[in-house]
Amino acid sequence: MNPRPWWTKLGHAGLLCLAAAFCLFPIYLMLVQALKTPVEDVFGNPLIVRNPTLENFEELFEREGGARGFVGDALRRDFPFLDWLANTLFVFAGSVAATLVLSVAAGYALGRLKPPGFAWWRRAIFATYVIPQTILFIPLYQVVIALGLDDNLLALLLIYPTLALPFCVWMLSSYFLLLPKEIEEAALIEGASRATAFFWIILPMSRPVLVAAGIFTLGSVASDFMIASVFLLTGQNQTITAGLGTFDVALDELAAVAGVNLLAIPVVTISAIFARGYVRGLTASMLEGA
Amino acid sequence: MIPVAARTAQRHRDVRNAYLLLAPTLLLLAGVLGYPLGWEIWTSFTSLSPLQEGGATFVGLENYRRQVSDPLFWWAATVTVTYAVVTTVAKLALGLGFALLLVRPFRGRTLVFLAIFLPWVYPAGVSVMGWYWGLNPPVITAYSIFLSQIKHAVDDVFGAGAWAFLSVILFNIWRGSSFVGVLLLAGINAIPPELFECAALESKSPWRRFWLVTVPLLKPFLALGAFLTLTSAFADLANVWMLTAGRIVFPVIGTHAYWLAIKVGEFGAASALSLTLVPFLLAALFILFRYFDPPERDAA
Repeated sequence: MNPRPWWTKLGHAGLLCLAAAFCLFPIYLMLVQALKTPVEDVFGNPLIVRNPTLENFEELFEREGGARGFVGDALRRDFPFLDWLANTLFVFAGSVAATLVLSVAAGYALGRLKPPGFAWWRRAIFATYVIPQTILFIPLYQVVIALGLDDNLLALLLIYPTLALPFCVWMLSSYFLLLPKEIEEAALIEGASRATAFFWIILPMSRPVLVAAGIFTLGSVASDFMIASVFLLTGQNQTITAGLGTFDVALDELAAVAGVNLLAIPVVTISAIFARGYVRGLTASMLEGA
Repeated sequence: MIPVAARTAQRHRDVRNAYLLLAPTLLLLAGVLGYPLGWEIWTSFTSLSPLQEGGATFVGLENYRRQVSDPLFWWAATVTVTYAVVTTVAKLALGLGFALLLVRPFRGRTLVFLAIFLPWVYPAGVSVMGWYWGLNPPVITAYSIFLSQIKHAVDDVFGAGAWAFLSVILFNIWRGSSFVGVLLLAGINAIPPELFECAALESKSPWRRFWLVTVPLLKPFLALGAFLTLTSAFADLANVWMLTAGRIVFPVIGTHAYWLAIKVGEFGAASALSLTLVPFLLAALFILFRYFDPPERDAA
């Protein structure tokens, strides 16, 4: 192709800058605010921070245990941020793992073993996405209480996978459907069982799709606010999301913004590391998807 | 050659294993979505309310009838449709733009890609708080005077609460366009590049190529993106309810149902209300399957 004229290149670069700015600006603002002292938060320039400080982050960890002084008792609630962090880690990792195991099993069943009517099973599972969540937590609470899981992290571990499961099953089963039959057949003829063929041949080559399903699950789980706030009630059982939701913004604004950043940093880092795999995996499951 | 009898035995085993492998997923979906949905459907025909003495009575379609004759329902329905259409169109347009910007390799592509990937990845459960507080500062911060000027300007034109609603729309578009952008990028990668190269030889006009080649080829992925963003829009709105403690002037069906259930205690009416969304969502699903997974493929 002939080289493009300079003005198209310039336009392309300009659009790229605009897109990046649009995407990054709110994140930048939240980061900057978390680094501010209370004085600068009120009187400083909103866009930059002159004297960056980590005291808001430190405050999150120091608040555990007694409040400071008499006024402090009324104004400064203490909260177990370390517990929140551990709970979040447990719930996020557990949900991603559970979703992956379930969706690989279901995807393999639908895409490779093909029980009668598998195409309709796929559609039915995907269709559960359209159920409006609005007030479903009311009957869901009955289920959770019947299982004895109220105010328990395990309740989230049960509910979160369903947020991503329909899409992940869909994605994995399309990927398994598209894999040519010959891939397993050689192993099967050699006398290997289906399970051996799965664990030694199919699973290793599905890495990108697994990454895509995992990142999609992480994104869905991290975007929940309502389920965490409704089902986790006491302080030491909450996740960061549920805990931050109980903050009084007027009093703890900066600590809350710092908390937002603190949750975002690990999630964003993990997703950035796997970003390429995410796109590759989505592509792999959509080839001939039309 | 494997004998026929062995082969049918194998097939039987495969089918049995398939159901075994599907079972946990189906059980989970039945428990977490199926039972609550059944409860909701049943409740929508009753007068169930936690505030009411005695058991719930069966009232038939009364709850639905009452909603339809309530002007607030129609207001909420109008807002919902506007909201869904505006955000979906914006997200698809922006997402397609992002994807097309990133298709060709250039220096710094990875960085721009990561920037575009970030809004979706950034945990929305907490970033929605940041957004909401950022755009509607509850306390004095450096930019609150500037923002409250905008807020009042917007509210003056569209009525109180308009700015809060607009900030929800902006948040939804910001996060959703990132997701759609990456999804469409993955979609474009799945299309054989020769098709685009042929198109480049056929027509010199990028505009014509865009409408006659790119858009039709991407149609299934656009449908998938539209569907996923549409359904996630309703979830976001529930978040916003929690953040604003229900000070909502622009109710959508979702927030209105939530309000009926939690504040008014009318579980029956709230169930009926949230079920009014289902036909539209099913229609969306039907359209999606037409583009993304047409039944003709079953044979293959």
